[in-house]
Amino acid sequence: MVIQKEKKSCGQVVEEWKEFVWNPRTHQFMGRTGTSWAFILLFYLVFYGFLTAMFTLTMWVMLQTVSDHTPKYQDRLATPGLMIRPKTENLDVIVNVSDTESWDQHVQKLNKFLEPYNDSIQAQKNDVCRPGRYYEQPDNGVLNYPKRACQFNRTQLGDCSGIGDPTHYGYSTGQPCVFIKMNRVINFYAGANQSMNVTCAGKRDEDAENLGNFVMFPANGNIDLMYFPYYGKKFHVNYTQPLVAVKFLNVTPNVEVNVECRINAANIATDDERDKFAGRVAFKLRINKT
Amino acid sequence: MIKFLKQMVGGFSILLWVGAVLCWIAFGIQYTSNRSSSLDSLYLGCVLVLVVILTGIFAYYQEAKSTNIMSSFSKMIPQQALVIRDSEKKIVPAEQLVVGDIVEIKGGDQVPADIRLLSSQGCRVDNSSLTGESEPQPRSPEFTHENPLETKNIGFYSTTCLEGTATGMVINTGDRTVIGHIASLASGVGNEKTPIAIEIEHFVHIVAGVAVSIGIIFFIIAVSMKYDILDSIIFLIGIIVANVPEGLLATVTVTLSLTAKRMAKKNCLVKNLEAVETLGSTSIICSDKTGTLTQNRMTVAHLWFDNQIFVADTSEDHSNQAFDQSSGTWASLSTIIALCNRAEFKPGQESVPIMKKVVVGDASESALLKFSEVVLGDVMEIRKRNRKVAEIPFNSTNKFQLSIHETGNPDDKHFLVVMKGAPEKILERCSTIMVDGQEKPLVKSATEAFHTAYMELGGLGERVLGFCHLYLPADKFPENYSFDVDTMNFPTSNFCFVGLLSMIDPPRSTVPDAVTKCRSAGIKVIMVTGDHPITAKAIAKSVGIISAGSETVEDIASRLNVAVERVNKRDARATVVTGMELKDMSPEQLDEVLTNYSEIVFARTSPQQKLIIVEGCQRQDAVVAVTGDGVNDSPALKKADIGIAMGIAGSDAAKNAADMVLLDDNFASIVTGVEEGRLIFDNLKKTIAYTLTKNIAELCPFLIYIIAGLPLPIGTITILFIDLGTDIIPSIALAYEKAESDIMNRKPRHKKKDRLVNAPLAVYSYLHIGLMQALGAFVVYFVVYAQEGFRPGALIGLREEWEKDHVNDLEDSYGQEWTNYQRKYLQWTGYTAFFVGIMVQQIADLIIRKTRRNSIFQQGLFRNKVIWVGIASQIVIALILSCGLGSVRALSFTTLKPQYWFVAVPFAILIWVYDEVRKLLIRLYPGSWWDKNMYY
Repeated sequence: MVIQKEKKSCGQVVEEWKEFVWNPRTHQFMGRTGTSWAFILLFYLVFYGFLTAMFTLTMWVMLQTVSDHTPKYQDRLATPGLMIRPKTENLDVIVNVSDTESWDQHVQKLNKFLEPYNDSIQAQKNDVCRPGRYYEQPDNGVLNYPKRACQFNRTQLGDCSGIGDPTHYGYSTGQPCVFIKMNRVINFYAGANQSMNVTCAGKRDEDAENLGNFVMFPANGNIDLMYFPYYGKKFHVNYTQPLVAVKFLNVTPNVEVNVECRINAANIATDDERDKFAGRVAFKLRINKT
Repeated sequence: MIKFLKQMVGGFSILLWVGAVLCWIAFGIQYTSNRSSSLDSLYLGCVLVLVVILTGIFAYYQEAKSTNIMSSFSKMIPQQALVIRDSEKKIVPAEQLVVGDIVEIKGGDQVPADIRLLSSQGCRVDNSSLTGESEPQPRSPEFTHENPLETKNIGFYSTTCLEGTATGMVINTGDRTVIGHIASLASGVGNEKTPIAIEIEHFVHIVAGVAVSIGIIFFIIAVSMKYDILDSIIFLIGIIVANVPEGLLATVTVTLSLTAKRMAKKNCLVKNLEAVETLGSTSIICSDKTGTLTQNRMTVAHLWFDNQIFVADTSEDHSNQAFDQSSGTWASLSTIIALCNRAEFKPGQESVPIMKKVVVGDASESALLKFSEVVLGDVMEIRKRNRKVAEIPFNSTNKFQLSIHETGNPDDKHFLVVMKGAPEKILERCSTIMVDGQEKPLVKSATEAFHTAYMELGGLGERVLGFCHLYLPADKFPENYSFDVDTMNFPTSNFCFVGLLSMIDPPRSTVPDAVTKCRSAGIKVIMVTGDHPITAKAIAKSVGIISAGSETVEDIASRLNVAVERVNKRDARATVVTGMELKDMSPEQLDEVLTNYSEIVFARTSPQQKLIIVEGCQRQDAVVAVTGDGVNDSPALKKADIGIAMGIAGSDAAKNAADMVLLDDNFASIVTGVEEGRLIFDNLKKTIAYTLTKNIAELCPFLIYIIAGLPLPIGTITILFIDLGTDIIPSIALAYEKAESDIMNRKPRHKKKDRLVNAPLAVYSYLHIGLMQALGAFVVYFVVYAQEGFRPGALIGLREEWEKDHVNDLEDSYGQEWTNYQRKYLQWTGYTAFFVGIMVQQIADLIIRKTRRNSIFQQGLFRNKVIWVGIASQIVIALILSCGLGSVRALSFTTLKPQYWFVAVPFAILIWVYDEVRKLLIRLYPGSWWDKNMYY
């Protein structure tokens, strides 16, 4: 069969389109009559209404399996991750000592981050707990009883507390403070009843050399058991996450230093191949001095 | 090679190439901005290319397997020719012949070029491969016709000289010969796209259109939502991959080749896979008569003796000869039939049934031999008893055959002269006629009775022979009388007329049924034959091509006893058009004939006219199937939408030009082929509907991801695992589905109106079932995230933080904090959950696609076992991916908690119930708004 490709003129094409959009003979708009359109619209209204209802219903039923205060599964969170403050893009803390602007944003962030740790606020909201043991608060028959939190006072951070600190956490002098925190995991008894602490070190040998001395607050980088377990944001409203501050005293300037901090706790593995942040945190430190 | 490359860029492949290139571009951008960026995009690009190449190789392999290219024209070159050059006879290779050479041919040779005969001795040629005439054609130097194909003094290249010798001058060689002309004509007729190729192209356009337009719309949306270009490109890739049914084209190929295999079992060998469906959409079949509709074997059909016509059994085995054999006339007639016959069985066939034995002798002689063998028993024994003393073979001047025998009775020393031949010639030589075993004078009334019978049998299109005998007086012709056939020293007149016998090439017994089936299937069967119109019409009537009640214009004229011109042409449903009439017709007149008559027979047509007829049919927008066997049929076979060559009688050239080869030469096999073809069209519809459905479920995640900022519900690699993993076997399984109703009771599909993928199919798959699947899969996804700590509300807008590598303390709905990897793992679990959700609902989709109109329970849930194999394969592949390969990171599957496999089940049930309701309403209200919009 010879394929007859009739070349349609532009006018014909436009004409055909016009007829498709509105056909005056059959009163069809886009190939359908008014009643047909009405039917279609009505049908889809009902049909999609029904589907929405069905979706909502199944979602509602499924969400009944999820409780308000603890997630159903925590298998992914067996090992809590570590994280630093200030939180920066790509986790690098770069400080140009002479350039105020380079670290001012870090300082602003830290100020904001540490505000809830102010002693006054802590005293007002939280309990003074007995250190060295878990602060367990069983429901005791009262369902979802609101939980109290232990105090973590800003002053515990010593030189890094930033209170009345003209050096702005050390950023203006090239001795910056970096705060380490451990991810919250509900009902996680970190340390398995033994004391635990955070240690930091240069990642490689040259990093260790360049890193120089540092001090940690609280001393030894300890994290007390009394801050555990965490009961979830809904019932543990004022929970204050324990922090460890590291003040780097004499980092070799103008070099990038890879720092790794890890938690030493009995039940937290820090050697996960895939998850580089399980029980540890790696970040870059660079102090630029002219 | 070019074909292979075509496979690589045709169809969806081009979209996937675009996707792959975009992947690499995205990777390039990532890499230049951040050296340590992930290799995901690079991998994805490679995977996409791999998919394209693999499906390309697969399709090419399938195609190559079923197309075997025979170069039959080159095989036909005769090896040697005897040529007279420089007054010396030389043997030269035929290709060295030049115009003007004088060549000699003898019985058994192939004619080495087109030659004009200069002299001949009893030369006969077999022109069947060229003109379709099965009878040997005499060749002599006389010019008898203007048309080179008709004139007797031309011998054609590649035909065979059967007997005699001839000398001729070469007038054409090579491509300029008549057959070379046809060959070039055949190759000149372009290969048209098959209907299914057009349908698939149409479908690819629809899907590609949807993919590209959604892709571009969302690219623009993404850019205007301030996503950066890189992310937008990645979205675009996802949308393309989700939209393209990667596995579908391979599935279609497999489905077609499965059907091709099934058809091969039913004696239809399909050379071109796509022709499988073409046969199903056929609306006109132009069929040969000889061999296709008929048994290709002359058979005794009627006898006339004692003033009575008897019917002989013409079925394939001749078993039931029920006419009256008690009359004395029959005894004489049967003796003549047995004796006046030169045909013999080839020796060594004792165990072969009579009708299958090979006979040496021409068609009518063998018919008579077999007939008498069946009726009388051992003919050779009879001939031995009645020793032949002399014989005059049939020739065209005498138009009779005569032989002289001793009578079988040793006491009876008479000689018996038996004669058969053209009835009017035989009657001329008779003075008496035998009635009830008694010799009676041939009075006028007897002559009239003879003529009536002769006319009647002739009118049935049968070849009639007359038989007579004469006992020679013993005194004039003693035992030792020497008969001389040249001087004819014995009487050749005043014979006693015994009877008439008529022969026909009877229709195959399965053909009438097949023709009826075609008719109820809305397929017009046109007979095209080189035979005489009367014979053609008789066969057409007996097989139902001209049905019992219909008349031609001539029939009406003779019934009403008026002139043919005065009959209203509209009254006639049938017509017989001869080649001569056809030659004078304009295309418009031919169109008129083709549209006005439902039952058409073309008789006395030359094979070239077949092409004209095919073209005429195609002008009516019909899908035309043509059968043919000769070389000269090859242009028509090529031209037809589907050319069907005869496997037994067909020449290589015809087989080469055809799309399909009929292994048993039987018309009925075409009909079973049509049935298969229609079934595959229906089933392909189902397969495509099944495959398209999940595209929405794969696409929605990307759209929601872009707009609502959820963590990505399903990854591109995961999508590929659905398209090329879990979905492949089920979609092939649909090819095994039985027809829903009698597909042979509906009209052939209209090429331009009944599309493979029509609007209702796309809308129903995309906007109804597809959407349900998307919702079901989203429920699974949300449940997984919620149970792990991210409630649905918290997910919205989370994307940006979620995907930042350095955010390792992302807070969930409960205040817990997640590292990047923990989130990634959860995201993969989400992928797996979404994947399982789709898979579970695809099981329901597979089940509902078994039928388009009937309830599943009418169709039988378990009748198609392959469907269950498909379902099992889906589940097993999903289990392997989730449990077995859950630890292979690059595949991004995780081991899923058992209960998540069942979350989508309510939606699967909903899909099933919804579709049952749809089908119920379609069955209850045919033609309603619902039917029009919901039946695909």
